[in-house]
Amino acid sequence: MIRTKNLTKTFKSYKKQPGLKGAFGAFFKRDEVSKNAVDQFDLDVNQGEIIGLLGPNGAGKTTLMKMLTGIIVPSSGEIEIAGHVPWKREKEFRKKIALVMGQKSQLWWDIPSLDSFKLLQKYYEIPDKRFNEKVNMMGELLNVRDLFHVHVRKLSLGERMKLELMASLLHDPEVLFLDEPTIGLDLIAQENIRNFIKEYHELNKLTVVLTSHYMADVQALCPHLVLIAGGKKTYDGSISKFEKILGHKKNVVFNFNQSIDRSDDFWTGLDLTFSENSDEVELRLEESEVREISAAILNKFPVTDFYTEKMPIEKVMKKIMENPNILLGK
Amino acid sequence: MKNNLLKWYQTILISWKKNTAYRLNFLLQIIGPALVFFFIKYSLWNTIFSKNPGVKIGGYTFAAMITYHIWSFIVSLIAQGHTALNLSMDIRMGRISSYLIYPFNFWEFHTASFIGFQLLQFVVASISLLIFSLLGILPEFTWTNLVLGMTCSFYVSLFWYTLQYLTGIIAFWLEETWILRVILQIVTVFLSGAVIPLELFPAWAVKILEYTPFPYLTYYPIKIFSGAPVDLTNFFTIVTGWMIILILANSFIWKRGMRLYTAAGM
Repeated sequence: MIRTKNLTKTFKSYKKQPGLKGAFGAFFKRDEVSKNAVDQFDLDVNQGEIIGLLGPNGAGKTTLMKMLTGIIVPSSGEIEIAGHVPWKREKEFRKKIALVMGQKSQLWWDIPSLDSFKLLQKYYEIPDKRFNEKVNMMGELLNVRDLFHVHVRKLSLGERMKLELMASLLHDPEVLFLDEPTIGLDLIAQENIRNFIKEYHELNKLTVVLTSHYMADVQALCPHLVLIAGGKKTYDGSISKFEKILGHKKNVVFNFNQSIDRSDDFWTGLDLTFSENSDEVELRLEESEVREISAAILNKFPVTDFYTEKMPIEKVMKKIMENPNILLGK
Repeated sequence: MKNNLLKWYQTILISWKKNTAYRLNFLLQIIGPALVFFFIKYSLWNTIFSKNPGVKIGGYTFAAMITYHIWSFIVSLIAQGHTALNLSMDIRMGRISSYLIYPFNFWEFHTASFIGFQLLQFVVASISLLIFSLLGILPEFTWTNLVLGMTCSFYVSLFWYTLQYLTGIIAFWLEETWILRVILQIVTVFLSGAVIPLELFPAWAVKILEYTPFPYLTYYPIKIFSGAPVDLTNFFTIVTGWMIILILANSFIWKRGMRLYTAAGM
């Protein structure tokens, strides 16, 4: 469905010396600096798949998204999406895709969303019957039917995001690009958006490319992850494999109601870290030993709380961002 | 074809809704400047004529001069009401990304919005005419000249739109395009005869101006409204010629601009 080969985008900018002298100098002679925002990028996404495109700020995610949607033209390399070359921007191609940007509204601010929907209905040539079905179905699913007649500028961010999603799905796109759809939303709103995307995907089996800095989004939605750093692809595979990049061990944390004795024989041989005042310990255990060792700790020490980490992916991501070589050296 | 017309129609409806979403803003933006401009010109000429009572300037009596400026008010409403503010904002804020994704192009969207705006301007101009007539200051006119004058003003507005479009898409290169628009506005006001009728210009200057689009923006439409003889073939040839040049320039600039476009902030 989506295929890129050696995709590269080079941005040129000009070096400028600081100060007045620099400003004058730059007026006459400018040193050009080229930077590959996306570098020799290969990507293969099958129809109906949801992929999570991850990477730190400035890694090239957005540039890649812009090339995939045809907003900007690649410097070199190939892209093919649903049988089209995006940057040619054929109307047939544009009818097959949709883009939702968490940071930018695509609905018209000064009018109610239903008016925007009706405009999009005409642009995408959606038959009345199908249009009404979709508006009702999604309005119900997202619980936003009361908001159709409210001016968009008066909506909360969460409400607006739901309507943005609706607007982008009216024409039954084959490929949906979601650029940080949950950014700035509260926890409940994030979850609503996530659940909606999941449900909608199950019903319609469209291909989805998602970028997000919230690992909860990725964990809930994307079985397939692609990691980008410095414009290059650094990981492409399943989320379960990704979670285990740092090893197969499980993290279990215990809190105690007082400082405990670190020199106790019990702790020898275990892979662990104590908190400064020894009232918390974090253990890295093999899955097979979690049960036995946890039970022993609960019996032996004054435990007030214990938990295993919910999202190993978040930890992996953090480690990789701190030290990208983990992936290169694997 | 039918589907395409529906796209245009719906866009025009939206532009109406957007324009009238803020009522006070709408009044201030559309009628305010034209009205203020009219009173400035009125007091300017009033001062000049009151210093020399009974005199004719460039063949105009005071009454004739005011008549000239009443028609100028109507012409400016229809022919030059539109500005390219939204257009350059779209480019600067990276909003054109949306239009690159919708199966309806950037120029189509803005042209449809322009048509919607012009229809509103027509209503405003008609109401203005009605008010002038109720106040008893509406100059004498024939219906033929009125229709012809309106038609020519609308034709000129197309030219004005292509020119505004050009200043808008310069935003690919310039951070701020309003300076450009102000310069254009001032030059136009002066050279189009909106303040001083062309009769008061030196003959050699008028000869040169005839080949520029400026006199056709205000002076000639006023003459058509007031029933003075105007060479219409010449009028349409020159305006059309300039319009073609601008359309070619616009499509060239758009193509170059798109290569530069980085969709800042997406």
